Amino acid sequence: MDTSNPAAFVNAELLRMYVGRRVRAVIQVLRNDGGSIFGKSTDEQELVVKGHPPNPPTTFVEVIGIADSNRSIQAEIWTNFGDNFDVSSYNTICQLANGDFKHLFI
Amino acid sequence: MYGNNEFDGSAAFSGGGFMPSQATQTADPSFSPAKNREAQGLLPLTVKQIREAFQASDDKANILIDGVSVNNVKLVGLLFEKTERVTDVSFALDDGTGRIDCHRWVQEAVDTKEMELLSNGTYVKVHGHLKGFQGKKQLIVYSVRCVTDYNEIPNHFAECMYVHCYNTRTQKMQDAPQVTGQMPNPAVNTPSKGCQPTSSNYHNVDAIRGIDKLVLNYMQQPSCIGKENGVHRVELAKQLNVPEHKILEAIASLESEGLVYSTVDEFHYKSTANG
Repeated sequence: MDTSNPAAFVNAELLRMYVGRRVRAVIQVLRNDGGSIFGKSTDEQELVVKGHPPNPPTTFVEVIGIADSNRSIQAEIWTNFGDNFDVSSYNTICQLANGDFKHLFI
Repeated sequence: MYGNNEFDGSAAFSGGGFMPSQATQTADPSFSPAKNREAQGLLPLTVKQIREAFQASDDKANILIDGVSVNNVKLVGLLFEKTERVTDVSFALDDGTGRIDCHRWVQEAVDTKEMELLSNGTYVKVHGHLKGFQGKKQLIVYSVRCVTDYNEIPNHFAECMYVHCYNTRTQKMQDAPQVTGQMPNPAVNTPSKGCQPTSSNYHNVDAIRGIDKLVLNYMQQPSCIGKENGVHRVELAKQLNVPEHKILEAIASLESEGLVYSTVDEFHYKSTANG
């Protein structure tokens, strides 16, 4: 990430608000092509993440990068989040961080 | 999680160690957040909160966030630009809301070992003291540890929101001393509702409580207690002159508190009190 270049917490629903901007999201890996990952967002919708995924990725991966459409992210930073991750908590954080508490984040 | 009003999450939790103790906090007109030295807790924050407070503050040595004096802070983010020197290690912490420079003084082997384990691009949780140095903000870090369970990351941000909510409500309460006797009810019960620390919220709650109270009072009359089948909800609506859907809401909320129960069918209700 760049200095003072914040990344917004997104799920599939929120991704469209940030097309062209830096975002972060947690994806459940469904298919790994080597050059991209086809996954499920925290609100159960499918997203494509392009870049250089970790090898091997764990069940959940956090990606940080630029949203290049409302269904895909060009990821710069990938972090394996393991196999046990509370998706619903993360999803709630996404909603709050873009809603009532936006002023704490972006 | 803790949806029941009976469970006073704020007292049971005391904010997980983040809040100043309850005893010093509530309804204390002489409470002055900036000077209360006993309440030097640990604040979970985002870098954005720190940056804004720092820029807004004239006195860089004593920063206030949401009315609380900032001393010890907790941050969670990615570690970058790690630079090891003889007596200290510096790095930048990026939590997605901004970047902050951090310094960790290494005096003993234990400290050096702690820092050696960390590499650029890993998630860490950091505890430190916020300091202004030559006009720039810096974090003097006491502890840096790797995040092992990644649920800590949304958890940290949830804590930031909660503490922000709690402190802004406390601030509002101090500004409005006529709203006495009401415990700040932090958004522990339903995080998805978010925090709306406006005084109009109190009025809404009172209005709902008012109808619940009306219904409960009616049902606790000896004549109603005496009736084996309880009171029909249509009778409640007629007697109290309240629309039936409001009666239904009141009954649902009283039922969840364990104050009323349905008897022969879902139209008849009785108070659980023995009169």
